[in-house]
Amino acid sequence: MRPISLTVNGHTHAVDVEDRTLLADLLRDQLHLTGTHVGCDTSQCGCCTVLMDGDAIKSCTVLAVQAEGAHITTIEGLAQGPDLHPIQAAFSQCHGLQCGFCTPGMIMATAGLLSHTPQPTEAQILEGLAGNLCRCTGYIHIVESVKLAAQTLQEKSA
Amino acid sequence: MNARFTPSRQEDLPLITGQGRFTADHHYPGTLHAFVIRSMHAHARLTSIDLAAVRAYPGVRWVVTAQELKALGAGNIPHPITAKGPGGEDQKIALMPLLAEGTVRFVGQPVAMVFADSALVAQDAAELAVMEYEVLDAVTDPETATQPSALQLHEQVPRNLSVHFSSGDAALVEAAFQKAAHTSQLRVVSQRLMGVPMEPRAVVARHDAATGVTTVHTPHQGVLGMRNFLAMAAGVSPESLCVDANDVGGSFGLRGGAYTEHGVLVLATRHLGCPVAWTGSRSEIFLSDWHGRALILNGDIALDAAGHILAIRFKDCVDAGAYNCMMSTFIGTRNLSITMGGVYQVPALYMESEVVYTNTTPVSAYRGAGRPDIAYAIERLVDFAAHQHGFDPIALRRQNFIEASAFPYKTANGTTIDTCLSGKLLDRALAMSDYAGFEQRRAQALTRGKYRGIGLSTFLEASGAGTAPKDQALGEFQADGCLHVYGVTGPSGQGHSTSFARIIETALGWPADRVRYEAGNAKHKLLGNGTGGSRSLYGAGSAIVAMCHQMLESLKPLAAQALGVSADEVHFDKGLWTGPQHSISTAQLIDALPQAAQSSLSVMGEATSGSTFPNGCHVAEVEIDPDTGVTELIHYFAVDDLGQVISPQLVRGQVHGGVVQGWGQAFCEQVVYDAQGQLLTGSFMDYAMPRAGCVPHLRNETYEVRTQLNLLGSKGVGESGCTGSLPALANAVMSALRPYGIDQMDMPFTAPKIWMALQARI
Repeated sequence: MRPISLTVNGHTHAVDVEDRTLLADLLRDQLHLTGTHVGCDTSQCGCCTVLMDGDAIKSCTVLAVQAEGAHITTIEGLAQGPDLHPIQAAFSQCHGLQCGFCTPGMIMATAGLLSHTPQPTEAQILEGLAGNLCRCTGYIHIVESVKLAAQTLQEKSA
Repeated sequence: MNARFTPSRQEDLPLITGQGRFTADHHYPGTLHAFVIRSMHAHARLTSIDLAAVRAYPGVRWVVTAQELKALGAGNIPHPITAKGPGGEDQKIALMPLLAEGTVRFVGQPVAMVFADSALVAQDAAELAVMEYEVLDAVTDPETATQPSALQLHEQVPRNLSVHFSSGDAALVEAAFQKAAHTSQLRVVSQRLMGVPMEPRAVVARHDAATGVTTVHTPHQGVLGMRNFLAMAAGVSPESLCVDANDVGGSFGLRGGAYTEHGVLVLATRHLGCPVAWTGSRSEIFLSDWHGRALILNGDIALDAAGHILAIRFKDCVDAGAYNCMMSTFIGTRNLSITMGGVYQVPALYMESEVVYTNTTPVSAYRGAGRPDIAYAIERLVDFAAHQHGFDPIALRRQNFIEASAFPYKTANGTTIDTCLSGKLLDRALAMSDYAGFEQRRAQALTRGKYRGIGLSTFLEASGAGTAPKDQALGEFQADGCLHVYGVTGPSGQGHSTSFARIIETALGWPADRVRYEAGNAKHKLLGNGTGGSRSLYGAGSAIVAMCHQMLESLKPLAAQALGVSADEVHFDKGLWTGPQHSISTAQLIDALPQAAQSSLSVMGEATSGSTFPNGCHVAEVEIDPDTGVTELIHYFAVDDLGQVISPQLVRGQVHGGVVQGWGQAFCEQVVYDAQGQLLTGSFMDYAMPRAGCVPHLRNETYEVRTQLNLLGSKGVGESGCTGSLPALANAVMSALRPYGIDQMDMPFTAPKIWMALQARI
C-alpha cells in the first residue's frame, strides 16, 4: 500500500492505495463517489470520465498513484452551489439521457470539451464524444444537449 | 438543490448529479466479492479441477463448483417458454447448470466461483486454479449443426435439434407457388449481436437470517419476473427473495431473467452469512451476457402476373447457443411466425423453424427478439422480388397492403391485427423524404463519384402480450401530498415514472409532478408484467387508467359536496369538476380533504392488455464511396404509428435509440466466433459500436391511430426503431449497389465488405 493525497471536488483526501488501484476504483470504492461508473475494461466506453486538473480523462486508465496531488472533479462536484451545472440541465432538458449509466461520463466529457472549445462545431462535438458510448439514446439528443450547454455557458459568460 | 430547475423527466435529477443507485453502487460492510472461473474451451470434458491453491490463498473464503452447489440444492438457468413440434412433439430441452457439470459447451461458461475479501483477491486466487480439459470438436455453424457429421452437444438431443416448429398451411402455400407467375427466394442472416447495456451485469445479495429473506440488487426488467427466475436458478422459494428496484443501466431484453451469478450469489450469502457482490468486467459480459439475433431466414415469395402476393414461406434456422436459456425458443417460434406476413394481405403463409444448439453463448432476447429480424426478412424479400421481376417496389407494396376495410384482419396463420394504415404512413414518409426527387439526387451524387441509394420499409410488429394474467397499479394519496403509485414494471431508461405521471394528469387532473411511481415493492403483492416487448406503457398504463377511473367515481360525490350541488349536476372534464355555477380542480378537491379521507381514495386499478401492432414506414438515404466502401447515412425519416402518444420527447428518444441500434446491426456490429468456438469479438476493441454522429440527420414523426386493444389506446414504441431501420437501411444500401450488379449482401455492411463486393464486379 502507498499513501497518496489528492483533491476531489474541493476536498483533500489522504488515502492508502495499492500500486495497481485505478483512479476509478479509488473514487468508487474508497471515497464512495459512485456517480463515476465503470462500463468496460478497455478504456472504450467513457462512463468513468472525470476532470483531472481540468482535462477530461478516463479514470479507469489512470492509476490512483498517478493522481497524487491532482485536482479531480467528478459528476458529484460539477455543480457549484445550489443550482445544476448548465451541462447537467441541458442533458435533462434535451432528453440526453435514458438509463443514465453513461450520463456522468457524457457530462464530464462535455465539461472537458467546452472548457477548451466553448463554441464547438458539430464535428468538434462528435470528436469530443468519440470516446463515450451510449446504448440508449442514439446520441442525437446528447449532441443537442452539448449544443444547448455550450449556448447557455456562452450566454452566462457574456 | 435545484429549486429553480424542472427536469424534463422525473428520473433525471439523480442520474445527472451522480446520485443514481445502480447495482455496483451498493456497498455493505463485510461484503465478500466473487470472481467467476470460466471455460476457455468451446466444447470439452472437464477431466479434473484442482482448486486447493485457490482455497489456500489468503483472503479467499469460499470456492464453489457444481458439486458444492448441488449439495445446496441449486437449480438451473430458466427457460420459461417452450414450443411443440408440428405433430405435438415435446421440445427437447438442455438446461444450463449454474456451474458446468462434467462438460463445458461454450467459451465463458462458468465452471467455479471464488469468494474473497476483495474482487482483486478473488481474481488473483482464481489464477491458481488448475483445470484439465479433454477438448472436443466444436459446433459453431447452426446450419450444419443438425447434420449427422456434427458432434452432438447434449446426450439427450439427437442432431442438436431442440425443436422443429411450424406455423401456417404448407399445402396451401405450395399450391400458391405452383400457380404463381413470379417467385423469388432470398436468404438473409440477422447476425449474432451483443445487447450491450452500458451497465455491466452485476449482483449484490444480502441475506437476513432473522427474516429468512435475501435481498438482491441487480439490473432487471421487473422485480416479479426476476424474483421468480432467481428462485428457479437458486432452487429457493420466491417468497424468500426480495429484488430491489434500483436503477438499471439499460436492459434491451437481456435483463429479463437469472444468470449463473444470480443463483450462486443467493446461495452464497445464505451459506456464508455475509453480503456478497459480483460485477462483471466487460470482457466477461461479452462472453456471458446472452447474445442476440443469430437467425438465418430463408424466404420465398409467390406473385401473380400483376404483382399480387399469393404466398410467403420461410424456413428459419435459429441458433440457441449451447443451452436453452430464457427466450431463444420464444424468439425462434412465436416471434418469427406471428408477423411473418408483414403489412401485406397474403392469402397463404407457412413457416418452419429449427431451434438448434451450437457451442456458443446462449442466445436470448435483444431489442425486438425476432420481430426486427422477420420484418427485415420480409421487407428485403418484397424489395428483392419487386426488382427481380420489374415491379416498382413502392407500387408493389401499396397494392398488397392490407385493405382498410379488412380490419380487424386475421392473417393466414392466425394473427388478428386491429389496424395498420400503411398507405397513409407511406404517403407521409414519401413526402418527408422527397422520395420522388431521389433519381435526381442519385445522378448528382454520381457526378461526385458517390453511389447513392434510397431504401424503405413498411413494417409491422406485434408488441408483447405479457406473461402475467393482468397488470395492476395501486394508487395511494399519502401525507407528503403526493399520489404514490405502485406497479410491477420497472424502468431501465424508458421513463416509466414520467409517462405514468402524465397518464394520471390527463385522466385524473392530478398534477404530474405530484405523482411518485415505485416499481416492484413486493409487500403490495401486485400482479403485472415486467418491462419487455414494448408493453410497459400500455400494459401498466392501462391499469393506471383503470385506477384513475375508479378514483373519479369516488371523487364525484365529494366534488358535488364541495360545490354544494347534487352529484348528477357535476361534470368532470380536463381535471376540472364543474357544477352549475362553480368549478373545482381535482387537486383542490383532494388537497382540501382530511388525510383519512385522502387515504380512503386509495384504490387498485387493473387491466388485461394483449399484443398491439405498432407499425411504420421508414426511409433511409445513403451514399457509398466506391473507393473506400464507406457508407454515409445522408438522411433518415421515420413515420411511426404507435397509437396514442403520451410523452412525445420520450417517444422520439426511443425511436432514436432503436434506429441507431439498427444502424449498429446494419453497419458495424457482429459477434464472431472462429471454427473452434473462440470468441473473436470479446471487447469494445473488436466489437464495433455505434458512436455519436453515426445517424446525424434523423427526422421522426408519429401518425397516431389509437388502438382499441387497451384502455390507453397506445401501442409499443420500444422496438419499432430497430424493426423499421434494419430493412430501410439494407434496402438503401442495395439500392446504391444494384446498378453495379449487387442485389443481396448480408449485414453488417462494413466498408471492406462493400469495397470487395464492388471490386469483384468492376
